[in-house]
Amino acid sequence: MPSKIIRWINDRWPLDAVIRWSLEEEMPGGASYAYVFGSAVLLIFLLQVITGLWQLLYFVPTIDRGYGSLNYLRTEIPFGWLIHGLHYWGASAMIVLVGLHISQVYIWGAYKNPRQLTWLIGVGNLLLTLALGFSGPVLPWDERGYWEAEVATSSAGTVPLLGTLARNLLQGGPLLGQMTLSRFFFLHVAILPAILILFIVLHLVAFRKFGISGPWDEAKRKRTGFFWPDQVFQDAAVVTSVFVVLVGLAAYMRAPFSGPLDTLQTFYVPKPEWYFLFFYQTLKAFHGVLEPIGTIGIPLIVTLLFVFLPFYDPSPERNPGRRPVAMICFFIFIAWVITMAFVGYYSNPAASIAGNSGPATAGIQTVSSSPGDPSAQILTAAKRGSQLVNSLGCIACHRVNGRGGTLGPELTGAILKGKSRPWLITQIRNPKAHFPNSIMPAFSSLTNQQVNDVVDFLLNISQGGKVSPAPITKAPPPTPKPAGTAPGAALSAAVVTGSQGPPGPASFVIGNVELGEYLFKQNCEQCHGVGGKDKVPNPGSTDGTVPPLNPIDSTLSNKNAQTFVNNIDPYIQHGSIPAGLNPVLHMLPFGDSKSLTQQMITNVEAYVLHLNGVDRAQLIHPGMEPHLFFWLVVIAFGVVLGGFWFWKGGAR
Amino acid sequence: MELVESRRFVTPESTSRRDFLKLMVGVLSALVAAAVAVPLIGAIIGPSFRTKKSQWVKAGDISSLAIEQPVNLKFPFKTQDAYVRETVTQDVWVIKHSSSEVTVFSPICPHLGCHYNWHPDGNEFICPCHGSVYALTGKVLGGPAPRPLDTLPWKLEKDQLFVEWETFKVGIPQKIRT
Repeated sequence: MPSKIIRWINDRWPLDAVIRWSLEEEMPGGASYAYVFGSAVLLIFLLQVITGLWQLLYFVPTIDRGYGSLNYLRTEIPFGWLIHGLHYWGASAMIVLVGLHISQVYIWGAYKNPRQLTWLIGVGNLLLTLALGFSGPVLPWDERGYWEAEVATSSAGTVPLLGTLARNLLQGGPLLGQMTLSRFFFLHVAILPAILILFIVLHLVAFRKFGISGPWDEAKRKRTGFFWPDQVFQDAAVVTSVFVVLVGLAAYMRAPFSGPLDTLQTFYVPKPEWYFLFFYQTLKAFHGVLEPIGTIGIPLIVTLLFVFLPFYDPSPERNPGRRPVAMICFFIFIAWVITMAFVGYYSNPAASIAGNSGPATAGIQTVSSSPGDPSAQILTAAKRGSQLVNSLGCIACHRVNGRGGTLGPELTGAILKGKSRPWLITQIRNPKAHFPNSIMPAFSSLTNQQVNDVVDFLLNISQGGKVSPAPITKAPPPTPKPAGTAPGAALSAAVVTGSQGPPGPASFVIGNVELGEYLFKQNCEQCHGVGGKDKVPNPGSTDGTVPPLNPIDSTLSNKNAQTFVNNIDPYIQHGSIPAGLNPVLHMLPFGDSKSLTQQMITNVEAYVLHLNGVDRAQLIHPGMEPHLFFWLVVIAFGVVLGGFWFWKGGAR
Repeated sequence: MELVESRRFVTPESTSRRDFLKLMVGVLSALVAAAVAVPLIGAIIGPSFRTKKSQWVKAGDISSLAIEQPVNLKFPFKTQDAYVRETVTQDVWVIKHSSSEVTVFSPICPHLGCHYNWHPDGNEFICPCHGSVYALTGKVLGGPAPRPLDTLPWKLEKDQLFVEWETFKVGIPQKIRT
């Protein structure tokens, strides 16, 4: 019956002929593990296509939901971690295998006559693979993807004459945004794969036409072997091994959660994927007018060197021993790529450490240039400022008119004397500009109006004014809550909720632990101690110390990451006043005061959970535990390969 | 060895070796296919059969409502649909019997899921889609509706009405949560 069906098909479509054409081939020199890389690239590309298609079920390419939808796939869809992990690591594997394939072809001299066109198409495949490897990481539009897009479009912008045109076409407008993401998405999931599939077919047709070039040694070429099944078995063994390694990487080395995009996080160091690090590092050597040499010139020259290789090296000699120049060039190229990649990996651009948000001096004149009586204007502004000094939490650390903390200097007339308005604005916006070791948080997100109001208040003090801040107990205004309804209402005496509300937008996003750690050091450590462990004294509070965060209060902690975040988020958003007669330190309302963005709060929360042994990106519906799945795969393949070796031994 | 590999000198030994290699290729391919297919199927089934948790939500103040008059109360409702979180406006039909007793109807017609309206002249709810007619009590008076209007659990805190928002399968005589 099956043979009848096959015959029926063969009468109407050349099934047997196609199979014979693709499998039956005599190989000069026989099968070899040196030839597996082409097949391996092909099959890993197939894996990329399948895992890529499946990600489309859940991922949406929009700037506001891209990262969230990807994380939904990764944590809440059965085997989403594996599908994304295989795609993420598969991209690296494909680049490695393409590199090995092209190196093998180069060393064997397999690009020479009559295979020039096979080589040319192959170079096209290399470029397409790199383009896919570049456009993919942009798609989640997270902290990493955004900067990758920024660098790509800015590089395009350095092209002489056509730069602006190229950049705007790539961006889909004058600025990075939704249109940019849509274009990268369009390229990554439709155009590039379609062209790559076409090129792969052309490459295979050319390959089949001339077969493998085989060993360069004539004597070795006399012995022939078969593509099927000898070479196919070796291909299958290698591809299978690569697959098992990819599953292992997906299970044990999760792709990073780089955190939601926040252009205010200037301490984030954007770096490309490892396979572009050599280029990234090379670019740094070119400044100013020379920049196009790095962004366009070098890639163009290297590409042209690849493309025209069979034409400027036409000699039929294939033995690498007799091609010293070719071999020296090869090793110089490899050494350049590897060295630059390592330098790039360990480089730490100085700009990243400054954490400089830039002082906002615009709008300084708004108050004094207002119409009406200037002094009355300033007085009302100073009153608003005095309320802000309370609500922003300044008095948690600074003593003002006899009230407040002692962590920072008391804001008296003496200490403020002679300080100009721009100096004070910079001090509030970016304290490190004046005192590099300052632990004062940078209130970089306040409006100019707010900063000016606070500065008016401070100037008023320095001139001996008597505007006293609003009483400490009135700000932030406590809202009575029915017992047991607010998250974290059942707290220990250590903390009493201040103006608590529901968790903010930050709590539903998966943050980045490393960025959170940096932010924690900048903003939280002075009160909660290094790593959240110290017991910093808080005189006047019932507990006498600031509640430590590592371990955190057991009523806040939870094994479920979302519940945990929901418990701590209101404190970070809205602040709180510790129980006690007159606590010196308050929890600042980092969200309400905008001194941290929601994205930053997301990252801090990921870090606080991390301190308490809870993974913010914990798997909610894994399908199967990643480690268990990996070992099941290993055992299944182990049994099969073990049986193979057993049989081989028995056959001897 | 050279002779064994050559096509013209295929021996029984080389044939069995080649058959074994073919078998191995098949087994390895099948294993990889299985290791890929199971996760792919799992990811498709994924959320397909997950049930949604019902949610208590504040529907509004009922102190000013007239007795035994159906009122369409609209209230903001925080929804989570996969990775999309947003606040939508949701509504329920509320009939106040006394200051401590109300009836809350889901606004969804149990026939095929349309939203019905109150017609004061006939003292009845009418669904515009297929003409199902319900009494003030929710009882079916006419049309294709398979069951009475769906009531929702409620509680009163002072005059604030809280409703447990849930949806039910439509088109069947039983009231089964979706």
